[in-house]
Amino acid sequence: MTGGVIDIGYLELFAASALMLVAGIVSWRLALGQEKNIAVSTVRVFVQLLAMGFVLIYLFQYQSWWLVLIVILAMALCATQIAVSRVKNQVRGLWLPVFASLLCSSVVIAFVVVEGVIQPEPWYSARQLVPISGMALGNTMSATAVAIDRLFSDMDSRSEEIFTLVALGATPREAAFPSIKAAVGAGILPTLATMSAAGIVQIPGMMSGQILAGADPVIAAKYQIVVLLMMSAATTLAIVLICFLTFRKRFSKEGYFLDAGIR
Amino acid sequence: MALFEARGLCVSYEMADEPGGPAPRLENISLCLERGRIYDLTGPSGAGKSMLLRACAQMMAVQSGTLALNGEDSSAFSFQEWRRRVSLVPQHASLVKGTIRDNLLLPWTLRVNRGAQPPSDEELQGLLDAAALGVTLDRDAAKLSGGQAARVALVRTFATKPDVLLLDEVDAALDDASADAVGELTERMAAAGAACLRIRHRASDGRAAEIFRLERGILKRQAVA
Repeated sequence: MTGGVIDIGYLELFAASALMLVAGIVSWRLALGQEKNIAVSTVRVFVQLLAMGFVLIYLFQYQSWWLVLIVILAMALCATQIAVSRVKNQVRGLWLPVFASLLCSSVVIAFVVVEGVIQPEPWYSARQLVPISGMALGNTMSATAVAIDRLFSDMDSRSEEIFTLVALGATPREAAFPSIKAAVGAGILPTLATMSAAGIVQIPGMMSGQILAGADPVIAAKYQIVVLLMMSAATTLAIVLICFLTFRKRFSKEGYFLDAGIR
Repeated sequence: MALFEARGLCVSYEMADEPGGPAPRLENISLCLERGRIYDLTGPSGAGKSMLLRACAQMMAVQSGTLALNGEDSSAFSFQEWRRRVSLVPQHASLVKGTIRDNLLLPWTLRVNRGAQPPSDEELQGLLDAAALGVTLDRDAAKLSGGQAARVALVRTFATKPDVLLLDEVDAALDDASADAVGELTERMAAAGAACLRIRHRASDGRAAEIFRLERGILKRQAVA
């Protein structure tokens, strides 16, 4: 199981949390007031990742398709909660559209990648499905939150233009379309930038992990390429879905724009 | 039969800075607009004049009241079709990126005008000239002055030939000569069969057939001077 991997002892692991003293001391000296946040984040990273590790061990032993499905759905639910809480603009009723777009983009694309490219045995193999869905969800989660903020800020800054368009007989979709375009365009860029820098500036996280775990670097590179391509597809899909599922929240059912004055 | 008819419009809403439930803003407002006529809407600022125009264009939630065009109830139209025919030009109408031509043809990129023939360059240039805009269609819209942009936005709505024009202080940013040109163009639209309801803060230009005054949510007819 642990071929070329050098295990980290629990003593060393807990000693590593001393690294958080750097952030802690900076926060204290500069009076940033983030000490509590730093402590909570440190505890969370330990608890959550170790818990995930134990869940995966259990999952690998007793895996069945519905158990894997439940784990992935739970991950999607958590991703939804985090994405919604990150949105800065005040928009109500985001939960369902965010969940739907994360599920349709990340999980579907991760599934396509696992079954179409990796082809594990059995098809519901948790060892491939869970981490790959997780990577896709993590990426689309951030991209979705950014896209919603961008979409609604852009519509709010165009409120006079949208008003004018609606007064000329535009549908909400026609009036919102330039903002949807801006949000999707801006959302696609970060993934492309990561792809361009991959291998030159940094070894992406997953490839590093595989190399540290003793995998052949070329195999690790192949996996990383597939994952980056998947991220690009999943984020693009997620952003397009979330924009089309939510833009109408700034319009009344009669199709006029709800600007800040009448919201 | 009046071209445009509003009956018993009531609008009330809550402002964020004055809690205590929705307060009535417009009470039981009725008005009729006839084809070919210009009407002025006056009243102190904050009286709800813009709100009334928005309600007429179905761009605002109303508590009760009906709207009709040519005797047909507004429910017979889609919201988009209604706004194409009862067109509101806001005080701060904005232009999109591109040339003046792009802006004037913008309505024809919308689904509501699908299948309709867009006006020719000659027609558009004629409208620009009538609004005393000494510019060509190829001019970059971003390079227009505030007053010019306001007139281009106005001409854009005029070019769609709506049945009812709701003009929200469109001449507020204009000098006297340009305001007069806009008044003349409005008169031309009326002569072509439109009904125009204008919010104005300037002194009466004698073009209005009737003047309404909106005060404390009540609409009254005023004698034309």
